[in-house]
Amino acid sequence: MKTQEFIESGILESHLLGFATNEEQEQVKQMMSADRELADYVLNLESDIRSYFVHESVTPPTAVREIIQLRNLRERKEKHAFKSADQDIKAPYLDIEVNDTHMKVHKFWRPAFIAVFVLSKIFLIAGLYYYFKSASQAEELQKLKAQQVEQLK
Amino acid sequence: MNELERINNGVSPQPLASNNSLSSLEIYDKFGAMAYGIILQILPQPHLAQEVLVSVFSSPQLQSCNSYPFTFAACVIKLARAKAVEAKRKLTALVPANEEDAVDADSLSPQNIFELAFRQGFTPDEVAKKLNITKSEVLRSFHDFFKSYRNA
Repeated sequence: MKTQEFIESGILESHLLGFATNEEQEQVKQMMSADRELADYVLNLESDIRSYFVHESVTPPTAVREIIQLRNLRERKEKHAFKSADQDIKAPYLDIEVNDTHMKVHKFWRPAFIAVFVLSKIFLIAGLYYYFKSASQAEELQKLKAQQVEQLK
Repeated sequence: MNELERINNGVSPQPLASNNSLSSLEIYDKFGAMAYGIILQILPQPHLAQEVLVSVFSSPQLQSCNSYPFTFAACVIKLARAKAVEAKRKLTALVPANEEDAVDADSLSPQNIFELAFRQGFTPDEVAKKLNITKSEVLRSFHDFFKSYRNA
């Protein structure tokens, strides 16, 4: 469709007034991106449409502005409260200062501590076993030496 | 898809007219009177029109006007009309519209067609059906309507 035909088709007016279907909106976008003149025409058309509605404007009562202000404030507060509540739910750990002397470690440390404890017991028993064994051997050696000395005499 | 959803469509990343991000109250100060005028054209009852006006300027859709490819005014016009038409539909569902209020369906003037589509809240397809003309003729009437306004 040529630019002039497109302009006269009324699709642009329909688009700016909110009547256009998705297809028509796509068509307007494509035509505007392809044709700079058309984009300029749309700007002028917008200003015409605006001046038409500005001409028919009516000053609303002052109370309306206050109501809008209050409603926006309330909505902002609600949004803020909702956001902070949402953040609390998402946070993995609670940020609490605790006056405690205890230390917390990862649960994987438990088998490590058990293994260290069991090994230490094994080494302790083995150490004691070899200590007493060597002590008894030393005693036996002393006895044998004493027997040898007696035999030589 | 309703008309409010349609407002958010057609948004391109690069706006034609550069708009600074405005708050709802700033937009209201600029376009409140224009929006109230539009709403009154669709809903002549002032108390209802004021309710709709408040809903327009406290609507989250208004913030999407910050990224709208055209001017704020065009976005506010669309939003005000969409909200007013929605309220009118709810109202007419409760209290059926008086036939005398309806526009003369025999008239094919651009003014009449614009009246039916913009103020009475009919879609271009519905207007075409009502007036026994094609949709493209309805759209062309919108062009003729603003052309005659421009030349007036």
